[in-house]
Amino acid sequence: MWRIWMLFDPRRALVALFIFLFVLALVIHFILLSTDRFNWLKGPHPATAAAQTTNLPATVASNSK
Amino acid sequence: MNDDKRSSLSGLSETEARQFHRIFVTSFLVFTAIAVVAHILVWQWRPWL
Repeated sequence: MWRIWMLFDPRRALVALFIFLFVLALVIHFILLSTDRFNWLKGPHPATAAAQTTNLPATVASNSK
Repeated sequence: MNDDKRSSLSGLSETEARQFHRIFVTSFLVFTAIAVVAHILVWQWRPWL
């Protein structure tokens, strides 16, 4: 396995790997922030969370005010 | 021709390739361990399945 470094230049491979991992992490974090359940900054939005868990008429009535 | 001379495509000798590979594998394992811990913590916070 170590022979791979005789084919690929470690410097270029590391730069490519770091860029790839950074972009991937950035994409995943932004996707999570865009969701209601996994947004760790604002937390679940009450109305959205209620609509996702229950469809009680009281919830609908309070939302339609 | 000596194998340890710079004749590979990347320019690394066998010794250098082995040395770099050891550091690379160690770093990969450390990174994976941190990622596993992070995923366990997030799963405890809010499981996604």
